[in-house]
Amino acid sequence: MAETLSDNNPSLAAVVRVDNPPPDRSTLKTVLTMLVLVILIALVWEGAKSFARAQEYKLNLFGSEIDLSIFNNTKLPHLGDIARAFGEPAQRNGPPLYQTLINYSLFTFSEALLGFGIGSILGFLLAIIFAHSSLLQRGLLPYVVASQTIPILAIAPMVVIWMRNIGQSSLAVPVIAAYLTFFPVTIYTLRGLTSVPQTSLELMHSYAATRWQILWKLRIPNALPHIFTAFKISATASVVGAVIGELPSGIQNGLGIALLNFTQFYNQSPPRLWAAIVAAALLGIIFFVSMSLLERLVVRWQVKESD
Amino acid sequence: MTPIISIQNVTKRFQSADSAAVLALDNINLDIQKGEFVSLIGPSGCGKSTLLRVIADLIQPTAGTVLVNDKPAAQARKDRDYGMVFQNATLYDWRSIIKNVELPLEIMRFPKPERTRRAREMLKLVELGDFEEKYPWQLSGGMQQRVSIARALAFEPKILLMDEPFGALDEMTRERMNNELLRIWKSIDGMTVIFVTHSIPEAVYLSTRVVVLSPRPGRLSEIIDIPLPQPRSAATRDMDEFFHLSTRVRNALRFGVEN
Ligand SMILES: Nc1ncnc2c1ncn2[C@@H]1O[C@H](COP(=O)(O)OP(=O)(O)OP(=O)(O)O)[C@@H](O)[C@H]1O
Ligand SMILES: [Mg+2]
Repeated sequence: MAETLSDNNPSLAAVVRVDNPPPDRSTLKTVLTMLVLVILIALVWEGAKSFARAQEYKLNLFGSEIDLSIFNNTKLPHLGDIARAFGEPAQRNGPPLYQTLINYSLFTFSEALLGFGIGSILGFLLAIIFAHSSLLQRGLLPYVVASQTIPILAIAPMVVIWMRNIGQSSLAVPVIAAYLTFFPVTIYTLRGLTSVPQTSLELMHSYAATRWQILWKLRIPNALPHIFTAFKISATASVVGAVIGELPSGIQNGLGIALLNFTQFYNQSPPRLWAAIVAAALLGIIFFVSMSLLERLVVRWQVKESD
Repeated sequence: MTPIISIQNVTKRFQSADSAAVLALDNINLDIQKGEFVSLIGPSGCGKSTLLRVIADLIQPTAGTVLVNDKPAAQARKDRDYGMVFQNATLYDWRSIIKNVELPLEIMRFPKPERTRRAREMLKLVELGDFEEKYPWQLSGGMQQRVSIARALAFEPKILLMDEPFGALDEMTRERMNNELLRIWKSIDGMTVIFVTHSIPEAVYLSTRVVVLSPRPGRLSEIIDIPLPQPRSAATRDMDEFFHLSTRVRNALRFGVEN
């Protein structure tokens, strides 16, 4: 019997504890919960600001004075001001900020998506190789893990230089995004491919199924819920990767550069930076939610079971 | 006549790092002839599932050999000589019921129309014709087990290895499935069944021979021929001989445990 496949490999389980994805609640309930949460955050935000102002940004507590100036309008703008910033042009006679941010977001999203694709394919292939060769898994998996301990900020400039050297500058940012994306996909997919119940595997052996058939008809379907967990993590990670990747690559029309510029001119208009942060967060959330919806379509058995 | 399954001096020891080794099977010798219906009965943990797995070449015996159709068990597995029904149904969650039944046919590369035709037929046989498009989690445990029987029958193996297939069924359904199984066994010429059960009446009703195992270590404690007339029917259960044989099996079980 072919038994090089390491099921329930303990060394892998030690790398990352992976639990089943949480059960999807009904969409309405989720939306309502999120809405309540946003309102709550807004109340706390504005409440803290008016409390601090009433105290003149100083609080005497048991004899020691606490500085509350982080709640002033330059450090934590009013939510209304941030909302207003979306409508006002960032440059004289320019388009309103929200238009600029949408354009930047779309650009950054296209890079993140490409990076997500590259990273997912790479991660998936690595997982399949590792699942079929415990030798390669033992030899290479530590490097895959180690790769993630190098800060992305250190990797990004090097990737930009390498890609420039091979004449593929436009791919620099996607490659940086892929660097953050491939890792969760590798780990979760590997976990899914190897955590097949023993009897499910025995059933295949009783049919004398080939490795290839076992991979397609058992291991990959078994891995799908895990893969989607990875996709949801990677979706947000790829946006982070793209935003950071834009900084050293000199891209002028992405969210990363917007964040950098608005930081430089923060004192002139604090709400603008906050608006750009909201845009980046929304981009990540939208990508994440799309993956959750896709998961509901593809991994129907898991979702239905937990309903 | 050479036996269709020959178990020779089979010993299986489970070695684990953290606890003492378990001697699951201790020097088992058993020959099964083509066309027999053999039940394995014995207390929980006596090695019934292990013996079935060894015959199926899903695990290797520590010592001894198994010949199926005069071939090593490994070759018989590659030749798809047997169908197996596992103790738990082992359906794939992502496949609909009919797709689960089609699984072995896909693996064996049957053409699509043939797969569907056979899967439908088998599901009707186990009275689940209306559940084709459902998914495993929508079925009860007993229904799932019937799907797994349909799946094992779908490629018409000449040897059927069944591990407590009717354990999860109510008495009425169980008796109906018993008769259905006997009908299938009769209708396919030369079909051999090895059937694991905990139920004495079920073993006696179905079998041509009952093999009683004793636990720790798993040994053959007695082999009892069941010469009840074929075909079996409701009347079989009322025969004096049926009670007599049931008592013999019960005594063999008790004797095995006391030793
Ligand atoms: N993979 C395994 N590793 C270690 N020990 C095992 C393994 N499989 C079975 N055993 C041990 O072998 C013995 C026989 O197990 P087996 O499953 O064959 O019993 P069984 O007769 O089928 O019991 P039941 O009627 O409860 O299904 C048990 O003591 C069990 O603990
Ligand atoms: Mg068992």
